[in-house]
Amino acid sequence: MSGVRLSRISKRFGDVTVIDQVSLDIEAGEFVVFLGPSGCGKSTILRMIAGLETVDDGEIHIGERRVDHLKPGERGVAMVFQNYALYPHMTVRDNLAFGLKNVGTDKQVISKRIDEAAQSLEITALLDRRPGQLSGGQRQRVAIARAIVKEPALFLFDEPLSNLDAALRGRTRLELAQLHQRLGATMVFVTHDQVEAMTLADRIVVLNECKIEQIGSPMEIYRRPATQFVATFVGSPRINLLPVTVNAGTDDKAAIALPNGEQLLTAIPMAKLPEGESFTVGIRPEHARIAEDGVGEVTGTAEVVERLGERCLIYLDLGNGHKLTAEDRGGSTVKAGDTCTVKVKSSRAHLFDSTGKGWHAEGE
Amino acid sequence: MRAMRLHPAALTLVIIGAVIMMIPLLWVLGLSFKSNAELLADTSRVFSPPYTLENYLNIFGNGEVFRWIINSLIVSLGMTTGVLVISSLAGYAFARLDFPFRNLIFIIVLLGLAVPEQAVIIARHQMFSAVEMHNTYFALIIPGMATPFGVFLMTQYFKAIPKDIDEAALLDGASRFTVFWKVLLPLTIPAQATLGIFVFLTAWNDYWWPLISGTNKEMFTLTVGIASTQQNFAQTEGLGFLMSQAVFAALPILIVYLIFQKYIIQAVAGAAGR
Repeated sequence: MSGVRLSRISKRFGDVTVIDQVSLDIEAGEFVVFLGPSGCGKSTILRMIAGLETVDDGEIHIGERRVDHLKPGERGVAMVFQNYALYPHMTVRDNLAFGLKNVGTDKQVISKRIDEAAQSLEITALLDRRPGQLSGGQRQRVAIARAIVKEPALFLFDEPLSNLDAALRGRTRLELAQLHQRLGATMVFVTHDQVEAMTLADRIVVLNECKIEQIGSPMEIYRRPATQFVATFVGSPRINLLPVTVNAGTDDKAAIALPNGEQLLTAIPMAKLPEGESFTVGIRPEHARIAEDGVGEVTGTAEVVERLGERCLIYLDLGNGHKLTAEDRGGSTVKAGDTCTVKVKSSRAHLFDSTGKGWHAEGE
Repeated sequence: MRAMRLHPAALTLVIIGAVIMMIPLLWVLGLSFKSNAELLADTSRVFSPPYTLENYLNIFGNGEVFRWIINSLIVSLGMTTGVLVISSLAGYAFARLDFPFRNLIFIIVLLGLAVPEQAVIIARHQMFSAVEMHNTYFALIIPGMATPFGVFLMTQYFKAIPKDIDEAALLDGASRFTVFWKVLLPLTIPAQATLGIFVFLTAWNDYWWPLISGTNKEMFTLTVGIASTQQNFAQTEGLGFLMSQAVFAALPILIVYLIFQKYIIQAVAGAAGR
């Protein structure tokens, strides 16, 4: 079990820089998730750690060992691929044994490790089958078992759940979390699915346009998004964004004027905000609730009502070119076309300046 | 894959077509079991007794035919092996390795598809003549090993294998050669079987280049050898013997077909589908 240190690593394809001086320390035993949209560079970083892409600048250490000049097989890492990448012509047992045979592991040790991994992932009955005879979920288990038998210093997962159906994805996610608890191994996981990131990670690294936007625990990322991009990328439904003007309110807190002129007092210290900036307020849908008594700050027309069981999402047109998503209780009587008033929990609002930097209430 | 049901009219047409194609083959087979003396008088009673094994026994008594069969086997197997080795290695290189002028070289190789054998046969003859290599197995085999089609087929096949598999093997500590030999090459067996069968059949049936290069009777391949035994224009003498040689010559092809028919059908169906 080893930590990982990325020191100002860069990657260029021709004239295009796809990873630009990224630095990151991953603790031993930590489960870190790289989260970001397609093309943000998250898989490239993973592949650089694995040795499948060269590192143009910077250094990679796994444990105390510098590895960026080593071949993939010499780095002590195991990787689970999106498409499983099992060897189709080999049985499951041979798939698991292949890596160990290549490094000259004793036959008895190979057999013991395969049995243990197969038992823990419940694939013992599949050992003599070929990948073509397995379901997607079974293949995924075999791919994970292939990584486990190597007892690597570091596990790498490249969107391993994206080919599974929704039910299986949920179950495999849970199993991965249990696997991490059981092995206590260092794991780096790449995904564009925020639910996977939020549920699995000790820390999330949010990437956008080849750069790290924010590193933090799942709740830190959710509650204190460093940038407007992070705020919009993490959280479903999406955070509401409205342009506002900021004034000094009471207790040195920032007061904001919504597009409809309504004034709200936030919990964000006024003194910290940059002067002369235009701001956008970010309000999570759970902090914008339909006011049953009709007393609120924002009024709009319901365009769509999504009934999710324990709660409803109401998509409102505010009539001034702006939209807002609000929440209501599960038994909401709101229908499309109704005029609704929304009560905003302004103490939980976030502000984003023109550069996209986020400003939050203290102690959130 | 579900078997397609043919319309009765189409099925009838297919059966008629098959019978038409089989008649000459059955005719040859029938003639091969007739005595030369009887055929000299009349060839129309092919499908009525008496039959004889005399012609086949004569083959076993004729050392030259065996020599030609051995020659054909050496040439066909040698050419097949060579084509498979070269095409696999070249296909892997074009599909997986980065090297200068890769695309240009690939295009040049493919241009070879556009050059008919007739256009180069004199130059080829002069080349082998200049180095005094005619009447050798080397001369019979080497020209057939340059197959742009084989390189193209294997390149496309290697390209179709997901790169994740190579990368998984590299992470599993495999060298480049191990990845090629133990992981990728076994995955190309269907393509190799297809290519191998076609090369073998082409080499076995080839007549023109062996006729030019193998002028010594000891170096005849079966096709050239059988042709050399034709004694006159109408082949009025020894017709049964000639037919038995033709049947005998076709046996290896039949065996190859029976063993590999799955791959041959796949290849033909695949070619038709594209």
